[in-house]
This record gives sequence, C-alpha cells and structure tokens, in this order.
Amino acid sequence: MRHSIKFLLGDEPRELSSFDPTMTVLDYLRIEERRTGTKEGCAEGDCGACTIVVGSLEGEKIRYQAVNSCLQFLPTLDGRQLISVEDLPDSSGALHPVQTAMIRENASQCGFCTPGFVMSLFALYREGAAAGDPPELETINDVLAGNLCRCTGYGPIIEAARSMHQPAAGPDHFEQNSAATVAALRAIQDSQTIHLTGPDGRQSFAPTTTDALAEILAEHPGATLVAGATDVGLWVTKAQRRLDPVIFLDRLGEMKQVNETATTIEIGAAVTYTDVERMMADHYPDFGEIIRRLGSPPVRNVGTIGGNIANGSPIGDSMPPLIAAGATLVLRRGGERRQLPLEDFFIDYNKQDLKSGEFVETITLPKPAPGSRLFCYKISKRFDQDISAILGAFNLTIRDGKVASVRIAYGGMAATPRRASGAEAALQGKAWTRKTVDRAVVALASDFRPLDDLRASAAYRMQVAGNLLVKAYLEAQGAGVETRIIPYREAAHA
Amino acid sequence: MKFGIGQAVPRLEDNRFLTGGGRYTDDLTFEGEAWGYVVRSPFAHAEIRTLDVAAAKAAPGVLDVLTAEDLKHLGPMPCEAMVPGRDGKPPAAPPRPVLAAGRARYMGEPLAFIVAESYEAALDAADLVEMDLDTLPAVTDTEGALEAAAPELWPEAPGNLSLDWEIGDAKATEAAFAKAAHRVKLRLENNRVVANSMETRAAIATYDEAAGFTLYAGTQGVWGVRGALAKAIFDIPSDRLRVVTPDVGGGFGMKGFVYPEYALVMEAAKRLGRPVRWTADRSESFTSDTQGRDIVSQVELALDEDHKITGYRVESVANFGAYLSQFGPYIPTLAASMVIGGVYDIPAVYVHVRSVITNTPPIDAYRGAGRPEAAHMIECILDQAARQLGLSPIDLRRKNFIRQDQMPFTTALGAQFDSGDFEAVMERAMENADWEGFAARRAASEAAGRLRGIGMGYYIESTIGAPTEEVRLEITAQGRARFYVGTQSQGQGHLTTFAQILAERLGIEPQAVDLIEGDTQEKDGGGGTSGSRTLQMIGNAALAVCDGLIGQGRDLAARLWEVSAGDVSFDDGLFRVASRNLTMGMIELAARLGELPGGGDEALESVATYEKSGATFPNGCHIAEVEVDRETGAVRLEAYTVVDDFGTVINPMIVEGQVHGGVVQGVGQALIERCVFDADDGSLLTGSFMDYGIPRADDIPAFSFELKSTPCTTNPLGMKGCGEAGTVGALPSLANALNDALSSAGLGNVQMPATPERVWTILRAG
Ligand SMILES: Cc1cc2nc3c(=O)[nH]c(=O)nc-3n(C[C@H](O)[C@H](O)[C@H](O)COP(=O)(O)OP(=O)(O)OC[C@H]3O[C@@H](n4cnc5c(N)ncnc54)[C@H](O)[C@@H]3O)c2cc1C
Ligand code: FES
Ligand code: FES
Repeated sequence: MRHSIKFLLGDEPRELSSFDPTMTVLDYLRIEERRTGTKEGCAEGDCGACTIVVGSLEGEKIRYQAVNSCLQFLPTLDGRQLISVEDLPDSSGALHPVQTAMIRENASQCGFCTPGFVMSLFALYREGAAAGDPPELETINDVLAGNLCRCTGYGPIIEAARSMHQPAAGPDHFEQNSAATVAALRAIQDSQTIHLTGPDGRQSFAPTTTDALAEILAEHPGATLVAGATDVGLWVTKAQRRLDPVIFLDRLGEMKQVNETATTIEIGAAVTYTDVERMMADHYPDFGEIIRRLGSPPVRNVGTIGGNIANGSPIGDSMPPLIAAGATLVLRRGGERRQLPLEDFFIDYNKQDLKSGEFVETITLPKPAPGSRLFCYKISKRFDQDISAILGAFNLTIRDGKVASVRIAYGGMAATPRRASGAEAALQGKAWTRKTVDRAVVALASDFRPLDDLRASAAYRMQVAGNLLVKAYLEAQGAGVETRIIPYREAAHA
Repeated sequence: MKFGIGQAVPRLEDNRFLTGGGRYTDDLTFEGEAWGYVVRSPFAHAEIRTLDVAAAKAAPGVLDVLTAEDLKHLGPMPCEAMVPGRDGKPPAAPPRPVLAAGRARYMGEPLAFIVAESYEAALDAADLVEMDLDTLPAVTDTEGALEAAAPELWPEAPGNLSLDWEIGDAKATEAAFAKAAHRVKLRLENNRVVANSMETRAAIATYDEAAGFTLYAGTQGVWGVRGALAKAIFDIPSDRLRVVTPDVGGGFGMKGFVYPEYALVMEAAKRLGRPVRWTADRSESFTSDTQGRDIVSQVELALDEDHKITGYRVESVANFGAYLSQFGPYIPTLAASMVIGGVYDIPAVYVHVRSVITNTPPIDAYRGAGRPEAAHMIECILDQAARQLGLSPIDLRRKNFIRQDQMPFTTALGAQFDSGDFEAVMERAMENADWEGFAARRAASEAAGRLRGIGMGYYIESTIGAPTEEVRLEITAQGRARFYVGTQSQGQGHLTTFAQILAERLGIEPQAVDLIEGDTQEKDGGGGTSGSRTLQMIGNAALAVCDGLIGQGRDLAARLWEVSAGDVSFDDGLFRVASRNLTMGMIELAARLGELPGGGDEALESVATYEKSGATFPNGCHIAEVEVDRETGAVRLEAYTVVDDFGTVINPMIVEGQVHGGVVQGVGQALIERCVFDADDGSLLTGSFMDYGIPRADDIPAFSFELKSTPCTTNPLGMKGCGEAGTVGALPSLANALNDALSSAGLGNVQMPATPERVWTILRAG
C-alpha cells in the first residue's frame, strides 16, 4: 500500500497525500498550483477549454494524450506526466512550434479557448512528430472535435495545425528531454495499491491487479468504480455527489488489455476507446466508425467500453454494436466469475445485473463470421461529439439469398439497449428481400416502446429505427447508392 | 518586418495568451475571499410564495444569504435607452430588481445569493433554500406575446406591448406602394441566440470603508458599468466604486452591460467585509446572460416597371425579454434603422417596430446589434423580388445601388453615407466567388442528388457608440509609451493595432507600448468597446495625441539642444536640427529630460480627444454557396467569399480574423443556433453545448477574403470599423444561398436556423 500519488507536473516531481480524491485536475491546476492557464468553459467535457495533455510511459516511450481536466480526477495522474499550457515553452522561454504556428496564423483572439486548442494540437504534434508531415484536414477536424472557439471561426487554427510541423523546427524539448522524462516516470511506477484518505475522511483506492480490485471491492461493496470518469466526473462536478469510497481502475494493467484469438476479441473492461478503435475498425468497420464519433478525442482517450456498459445508459453507443455482434461479459465478484450475454446484463432503466461487490472484468466478442457484416448507424444532431437519439446495429449473414443469421440491437428505443427479437424473427431464415425487410420493420413496433424526450420523439425514433433497417438492406445490396453523408474514413487517424 | 499602419503584424498580446498568461476575472484571487452562488428561478414565470433561506444561512460554511428583502436600499437595474414610442412616451419598463421580489419572470432570474467559505459549501446550502413557487402561464414566443389569448405579464404593458415605435414617412411610403408596378412581401424570423463567449461571466468585489468598492469583472468598458452601478443601483458617488476589467474572454456585446451579479458581489462584500467572488457555470450563462436578436419582421418592397425600388416598409415585432436590458430598446429601433434600406437608393422608407415583454432572458446587443437584422431584411427581400420577378439578383442590385457619384448620400431615414463604391465591391466579390461558374457547380451537385444555392449579402453597417473618446499618452524615462484608453479589448488585438499607429507616428518600437485600459482609476472616462467604434475613435485620437506629443517634444528637444523650437523638425521618427546634424528619438528624449537646464518636472505627456462627426459605414459583399442534401435536408457551407470596404486598415491580419470569426458566428445563427423554449413551461430546452449548436471546426470551409476599400471621408485616418461586419454580412448571404437552393427545386424559403429538420420538412412538403 502506498498512501500518496506521484506524478510529474511538467518536469517537476510531485507527491501528494492528503487531498479530496475527487478533486478534478482542473481545480488542482487552477486552485492548488495557481496555474490558471487551463480554463473552465463548461465543466462537462463539451468545450475543451480545460484540455491538458497526460504523458504515460509505454515501454521506452511516452505517449501523450489530450484529456479534459474538468472531468479527470487527480489520483489518475499517478505515475504520469501532467502537461499544461505553461509547460510548452522550453526552459529558455522559447515557444513550442504549436504556439509559434498559432501566433503566425492569428489563431488566438480573446485567448480563452487558446490553451485548450494548443494542448489538443500539442498532442497531435507529439503523435505525428515522427512523421513530420502536415496533418490531413480530416485528422485536424477529428482532433479538434472537442474544442470550441467563439472568436476565430477556426480557420486560422486549422491553418496553424497544418503548418505546425515546420521542418526547421527540429525536435521539441519534450523530445530532447525524453530520456530524462522516461527515467523520471519509470522511477515512480510501482505495483502497490494506492490508498488515500482525504481531509474529510473520504477514501480512495487505486489497485494494480484485478485480484486486488476484487478484494477491495469485496471489502467496500458500496464503492464507486471509476474508469475514465467521463460519466462519473459529471456526478461530481454537476450533481455535486460526494463519492466515498472511490476505486480507480486506470492502473489495472490486466484490465487494460485486448487479447485476440483466431475467433474472438477479449477486451479488458478498462480499455479506452482510443485503444480499441483501430482494432475494432479492422474487424467491424462500422463499429470503428461509431467509436470515432463517440465524444471527442479527450473523451475517447480515457472513456472505456466497460464504463459505457456498466453505466448502462439506454443511449450509450457501444452496447448495440456489441450486442449485435454477440458479445458476452465476464463479471467478477471476489474470486467468482460468471459469464452472461451482454443483452441480459441490462434489466431496466438504470438497473443492471451487477451484484453488490461485482465488477465487469472483460467483454468478449466473436470476430465476424465469414459472410457476415455488421451495420451500425448513429443518429444524432451533429456528426461529432453528440449524444445519440438512436443507434441501430444489424449483424447479418446472408446465404443463398436467405437470412442465415441475424442479430439486431438498438439504443434509444427502450429503457435499455435492447435486441429486436420480433424483427429478428421476421428475418431469420427468410428470403433477403425488401418485402421481408418491410415485415421486420413492422415487427419493430411490437419490439419497442421508444423513449420520448428532448432528443427525439417516440414516433421519430420508431420511424428512424425502421428506416435504419431498410438502410442496412440497401447497403447490403451494394447498389452503389449514396447512403452516408460521410463515408467511413479508413485511415482518418491512426 | 515593418510595423506601421497597414502591416499584418503578429499580435503583441499573443505570447501571453499562447502560454497561459491571459488573466481573466476568474483567474484572480484575493486574500480572505468568499464564494458566491446565485439561486435562480427554475421556472419562466412563477409567483414566489415562500423563499425561506434560514436553513441555508445556518448551513456549515455559509457566511450570508441575500434575498430581495436585504436589497431594499438598492435601485433597480437600469435601462439607459428609453427610446420614446410613437406617442412620445418611453417604453413600459417594469422595474427589474437585482433579486426577484414577488414574482420570477424568466428561468434563470436571480432569487437569492449565497455566500460561503467555499464554492461547495455555497452550492450545498442552495439545496436548503426552501422555495414555494407557484408556476404561472409563460409567454416566450415573440409574435405570440401580442396575441389576445396571451397572458398579460405586466399591467404597465397592456397586451405585453412595451414600445410601439416608428420611423420614416408612412404616407410617402404608402403612396409608393399604391403606385408600385410590383410589390414583394416576405416574413423573416431573426432567431434568438446566446452569445456564449467561451469565458463565462464572472465578478469579484472588495469593499473598504476608506476607498469604497472595487469590482473586478469582464466588461466591455468599465465606466459604463460603473455609472450604472454607482448611480442607478447603489446611489453612491462614482468615486466610491472602482471597476477593473482584466482580460476578457470574448464579449460580443453581451459583456457590455451591468448585471445583477455585479451588485450582488458588491453588496455581499460590503456586508461581510471580505472579497466575494462569483463565476457563472455554463448552464447559468445560457439563462442569465443577455441574449441576442429575436425579432420577426414583415418586409415589403415596392418597385416601378423599371425595377427601381420606390418604397420599403418594415413591420417588426421584437422581443425585449422579461425586462428591458441596459440598451435593449435601442437595438431593434435606432440601431437597426440607420441602415435599414441597405446600400440602395430608396426614396420612401417606413419602419414600425412593436417590442414585447415575455418570460425570457432580456435581449440586448449581440455582435452587430440591429444591423444584422436590417441587412437580413433588405437583402432577403431583394432576392425575393428577383425570384418573384424573374430577374437576376445582381442586376436588381446594380440598378438600385447608391452610386459612388451620389456620395455623400443621405438616405430616406437621414443616414449620411460618406463614401463607398458598392458596385465595384460586388463585382470583385463575384469574381472571387466565381459567380459565373456557379451554374456548372450547381449542375454537378444536382447530378449527385443535391441542391446547390448561391447567395449574396451586401451589407452596410453604421458604427455606433459614444461619439467622443479621450486618450492620454506618456513616454516614460524608462522608455515605455503608456497609452491610456477608455475602450476595452475582448480579444480584438487592440494593443497591437494601437501600437502600430503609435509606432509609425512616433518612430518607436511597437513593443514599447503599454496599453492601459479597463480601470476606472487610471482615467476619467471612456466609452468602451461596442458597435465597431474602437479603432475609429482611438485611432483618430491617437493621431491627435501623437501630434500633441511631437509638438511638445520639439519644444523640449529645442531646450536640450539650446536652439529655437522652430529649428527642430520631426520626421522619420526623429527630432532633427538639420543645420547642425542633430537627431534624437522620442524615447531618447524622454530619457534625457532630466538634463534640461533648469528643468525637473517636465514630462512627455499629451492628452487628446477625438469627437466623431458622424457614423462611419463599413460595407461589403458576402457570397455564400451551400449544398443541400435532398434526402436528409443537411446543409453544407461549401464556399464563402468576402470583399470588404473598411476604409483605412491598420492591420489586415487582425481585420481578417475579426471578419472570419464574425462570419462564423453568423453561420452559426443561420444554420444551427437556436433557443428553444418549452411551449408549456417556458424553460430553455437548449441550455448546454450538447443541445445548443455552436459552430465547430468541421462546419466551416476555407474562406476567401479581400479588402477593397474606399477611405472614409469623415475622419482623419479614413477608417470605418470592422468588428461586427462579418456577422452582419453572413446572415443575408447564408439565407439567400439557402433560399436559392430551395427555389431551384421550386420550393419555398426556409427561416433561420436552417436546421436539417426544417429543410427536410420543406423538401418533403414540396
Ligand atoms: C463530452 C462527452 C461526450 C460523450 N459522448 C458520448 C457518446 O457519444 N456516446 C456515448 O455512448 N457516451 C458518451 N459519453 C458518455 C461516456 O463517455 C461513456 O459512457 C463512457 O463509455 C464512460 O466510460 P468511463 O470509463 O468514462 O466510465 P466512468 O465514468 O468511469 O464510469 C461509468 C460507470 O461505470 C461504472 N464502471 C466503470 N467501469 C466499471 C467496471 N469495470 N465494472 C463495473 N462498473 C464499472 C462506474 O462506476 C460508473 O457507474 C460522453 C461523455 C462526455 C463527457
Ligand atoms: S471545461 Fe469544457 S470541456 Fe472541460
Ligand atoms: S479566441 Fe476567443 S474563444 Fe477562441
């Protein structure tokens, strides 16, 4: 057990032992460190004014990722490097190439959003530094999907992103110092569970093994698990909940792994969207696209599929594709594990089949069967960074003109993500024709009583649910009709 | 690199902003500070039966809780633009208390103010406030407010009508319509938008028996806010209140006004004898900031056989919100009507505006303030006329433009345009936008199943705001040029632009300039930044102050050199005595003042006031090109072209940035931004970034921008102003492009914002 957290703030080591375990990194920077360069524009992950970059050790290298500090809890910094806008100039005060490019292109006006944009672009710069090529416009748009600016109209910021890798710039100081930073980070890695007690007595744990997690959770069955905190963060900042105790999952090496066999993909519950996106796009291109549209890069860099499932929102994006693909969960309590099909996990609104002291350990899905295809469609007001009104996933195998197998799941159509068993029955074994599909569309009406809310009316959802099935049919015909506003971008970003 | 007037100098403020060195109100901290939290009305309209704060007061960490009861000594929030109506009387302006008393009139209206040792403690205590609110029927719809069935919100405003206002010659206009060969009519909604500066509003106050109040807040001009607070609300001499504005993270008009929270932190600081701070969270800013636009108009054009416009009539209903904001009544009336007829020679114009009170957040200036509304009206009716009469919108404009040889030109409503070559600007924009090639682009879009539209918005705006501005400039012995101004940057790069002028005139480095703004203690007054007035006022005042300083410098140099002042010249940034080969720069002179024989207290310091002789009229031509997906109704902005006439431009890069940002705000309003109030209870449904559409990086194509200026003839620098122009031009060009796309399929017009759902509905109905 360790009773403190250790991290680097820029290049400076920090060790903290008594603090509020759900203090956000934003509050820490602004209030404790008096580093006010990082701003709050919304405190809910929507604007990017609070963007920071977190460096994590991966082998001999440091991986830099943009994160929304308004939703990130301080203990998740353990073992990492926290980089805020103040760290970007080098020790002589010379600006970072990202900053120089922003000035050159007139990419800052009032300056309030600026640190957030600088940090998002800095993460892109670091990841693309080796390549040295100017990023594609699409990549830039993806990277900036979570940053809002009300003054500049973005054009100059995009120009800055395009021109930040000027060949003359040479390695930035992060690159130059990387050996020292790697060594400093290595020195603060260990496999001890962190146990902290805040000034008001609230506790938090950050275990490094699944066994330790199981043990702590057995002891504190009422604890709140925190993976990426992109849901839990809002409970604290918006709903003012005082969580006690809290168990952080981000140090769990085992649960952050993806294991592939010839026929299955096993995803640890703490794997982030970013880490699964590429692989998923290879197997299930549509699912990969859904992940690319989920939140923004800072949300995907920390948000997990496990968290999405455990949170169990009826409009969570990863569940319908997973259910349609035939995913199963491994749930663990103490030393006991049980396995269940993902669709059986959701009982009712806000009610999951998760026993006290139990947690989601892994999610397993089969690789696509030969001849099958998974179609996924997310309907939201905006393309990026928006919550779904409805999401449809259709896993179909057509053989000899007949529906050999079918699994259909929707989000936004009921109090939980759910299969459309009536529609499935109307398709299973039948001739794969528009007529059959129309019958299945009719069957949807008995499968669901859709949500009726601000995002969409029940009638709209029902109509769209049917249309999406028809769309899958049309696309399966390969008729060459344009069915997507923006086609899946194979190599949009690595 | 050259730094003078007309150069695209990188901004001097950027190093600070890029490295996190920007200091905004919430970045400041004070010893012993306490945290404020505003308890707001959850309902748009409700009788306050009980508001019991006893439990909240007793909660741990709570220092004080204010309600209307505690503020009886404060005056109401002032409206300073009591534009008289047809009957000569001021608008019905029901008093707006700092904290609601008796009745809550919009969702988000402040009810109580909790002050505690920490933000969390204040927030927790808010849960303990016992509220018994009896909801009442709410009115949110602008035109609906005037309907007979609408509940009447204030007895002082019968039928919810606060102001019935007109301008122009009703009879002459009526006659023009009677005689017209063609009449064209259009109904236009100018949707309500939320300014959404990325920095939310914040305020911190301190109080000291000896010195009085100090308020730190992100304003658009400290003196205006001080005046309203000291005079109208606190009734104290203005020297008992110092207002300080640090960096401002975007204002767009919205931060120009006095807000209840300013009075709350001040009063709380006085009661507690401790600094009190408050920062809005994003959901608060959605309901407690003033909002913009919200005006519905019926516009009508009369044309003769020859398609010359002979008359123009506007009937508007404007929403004031629940109360009249500080300048609220000015926007839809006087601000809009200055340029109501656009750049056209229209002999008869009549405007009638009815302004209503509703249960919505107060409306006030938002980027453009009245002028985007005016441009939207005239440019859309013009295109409608072209469509209806089967004419080219270009020819129709050409025929009706006020020509350069008519300048100076007095419009039917009395605006005096000094300069402008509208046709040349339009031609240039058409070239840059490849107007000729549009038909081919449309054919290509149609082949792909999409509609394509092109739309022009020729805007003209009149810059507004206080007509005089005083500046002070001193050159210190340490070599700094300290420039004191009464305007307020909110991101426009004022430091850089002013420094360019001073550098060119005085032969100093722009880096030597310090801009002193945003502090009532540093200067006696100032008109703030709004209405695109800043550079016009400060730029011209800077010329005068430089002249003053140079004159003074010549005297001082003469004394140093022991020659007569008449022998000293100033050119190329140096004082010289040509005959003796003596030269000295301004900075050197300042450093050497101590050497003056018999001197000691001489200073290089000058004050100058610029008084403008009238409004200036920035104008320009915007061309938008959009594609509409026939299946989904999705709209994509494909190309955007701007050619502007801003008169003299100091820094074209900064100007382009202002235009670019302004256009994107207009694009947001035209395509996605919208305030939706619940039809039953009047609550704001679009109250977060998730639900309110703000343009994002991928919504915007690369722009084409060019300046084609005719210098303004009514001020020495020849400048016209540019801060709002982008937004003013964007609304009509977008609206016209959309309507052009729809009409190519024989469909009718779409109102703003042209959301996919609205466009789709029109496509279906067609
Ligand atoms: C700006 C923004 C945009 C978003 N956009 C989308 C979107 O487009 N689509 C979408 O679906 N969601 C979206 N979300 C919601 C959120 O990002 C996802 O639900 C995400 O998957 C949650 O994962 P997390 O790791 O952050 O979970 P956390 O917030 O850490 O946890 C969520 C819940 O899961 C529990 N939990 C986490 N891990 C486990 C486990 N292993 N076992 C048991 N319980 C566990 C937690 O206790 C908590 O109840 C968005 C959120 C934000 C802030
Ligand atoms: S403050 Fe807006 S995303 Fe964090
Ligand atoms: S520069 Fe002001 S919000 Fe981006």
